[in-house]
Amino acid sequence: MTRVRTFALAALAATLSLPSAEAAAVVGQPAPEFSVPDPTGATHSLTAYKGKFVVLEWVNFECPFVGKHYGSGHMQKLQKDYTGKGVVWLSINSSATGKQGYYASDKVSALVKQKGAAPSAYLLDTAGSVGRAYGARTTPHMFIIDPKGTLIYAGGIDDTPSTDQADIATAKNFVSKALDEALAGKPVTTTTSQAYGCSVKY
Amino acid sequence: MRDPGPSARLYLRTAAAVCAFASSVAAAPPASRHVQPELVADVESIAPGRPFQAGLRLRMDPEWHTYWKNPGDSGLATRLLWKLPEGFQAGPIEWPYPEVFKQGPVTSYGYTHEVLLPVTITPPATLAAGTSVTLAARADWLECREACLPGRRELSLVLPVRGEAARASAQSAPAFAAARARLPQAGAGWAIEARETKERVVLVVRPPRGQAEIRQAYFFPDRGQLIDHAAAQTWTRAASGGGYRLEMTPAPNVARPLGSLEGVLVAEGSSGATAIRVEAKSAKEKP
Repeated sequence: MTRVRTFALAALAATLSLPSAEAAAVVGQPAPEFSVPDPTGATHSLTAYKGKFVVLEWVNFECPFVGKHYGSGHMQKLQKDYTGKGVVWLSINSSATGKQGYYASDKVSALVKQKGAAPSAYLLDTAGSVGRAYGARTTPHMFIIDPKGTLIYAGGIDDTPSTDQADIATAKNFVSKALDEALAGKPVTTTTSQAYGCSVKY
Repeated sequence: MRDPGPSARLYLRTAAAVCAFASSVAAAPPASRHVQPELVADVESIAPGRPFQAGLRLRMDPEWHTYWKNPGDSGLATRLLWKLPEGFQAGPIEWPYPEVFKQGPVTSYGYTHEVLLPVTITPPATLAAGTSVTLAARADWLECREACLPGRRELSLVLPVRGEAARASAQSAPAFAAARARLPQAGAGWAIEARETKERVVLVVRPPRGQAEIRQAYFFPDRGQLIDHAAAQTWTRAASGGGYRLEMTPAPNVARPLGSLEGVLVAEGSSGATAIRVEAKSAKEKP
């Protein structure tokens, strides 16, 4: 990590004048195409899911914010509920090789199973290219794509930034609300929110 | 072919951590290992009805950090939940301006080494001299290096009540002085306007007369969903009007116009850094 102290703003400016502002996926625009492998080596591309709602969930099982949503069984329930309604749920791990949350592909499937996770697929974005194309900055960071391939939600999983499972009951879940609205053919009320979590370990 | 040795070891370590986390969330939150929290006061004794400051001091291991009120793209703001005796009132945390952490495309705001988060406490006027009071608070924070751990601690501080004026604490004075030096000032004499274009969010800054040249500046927004924390902020002299412009990028996907900008502007001149409170309604900038 590059640490920049604010009493050295000149150095900061030098850092920030480098090419920055990673592209972020834009709500209302076509979602960036991608093609990445799952742990078995099978490739998943976004175009293959055209005609379906697709959820992208950035995940790192070692992050306490992710632990909040998996430790409570909340994330697994969302995955089961919505894949049961025909939604494609893709969990994406953008941890670089050797960084926190990275696992060799032969170990991932067992870990996903141990977690009771139920995504349509768990994808390995070790190069971080999908994460950077979408502007994924945290785990979790959530995106929803409609059947035409348009991004309809980008942001946090809910409105309560914390690592405390007890907060889930009272939090307003942006993802389930957006999916419920979209599946009912209604416009999405909240199309973006501040994502909260650990940094993605690019 | 990847060497299976380190991968297997990483997996085992990971599995152990996952199990430890899974079992710990069911019971108490995981214990903080890299931050020493402490409640301190800027006085050795307190007096009835006389406000004083207490604060949460966090001492962090090298390379570890905790977060500002707006943690930026990742992290979590430190929180204090006071449990005070009857009649005591606690104000909000007064946040010293933070440092910037950049980790790839992720930019966060927080503190390293040590920080004191001051809070003004007002005791009741009916307090009896000769007694003592216990100020208690639960502190919650997130400590991160590359990995993050949630921290939580119940803390307390006992202070004697005396009839005479409160006596300043020499022991805690340096920590309070360091914190206060980084608190944003109301900005008397600074004219700061916010403007928005399609692509940019701009602060037009006119420092008070006699202010030395400001070489660089950085704006810390009070919350997410205002500006893109990770994008460049460009500080230049304004073409007219004798001031400066700080150009920023709006947060991804945020609804425009923002309407207003709230946060802290840290301006660095030859005499050091100055932190100014910014609360500005934004106007559309004419091209």
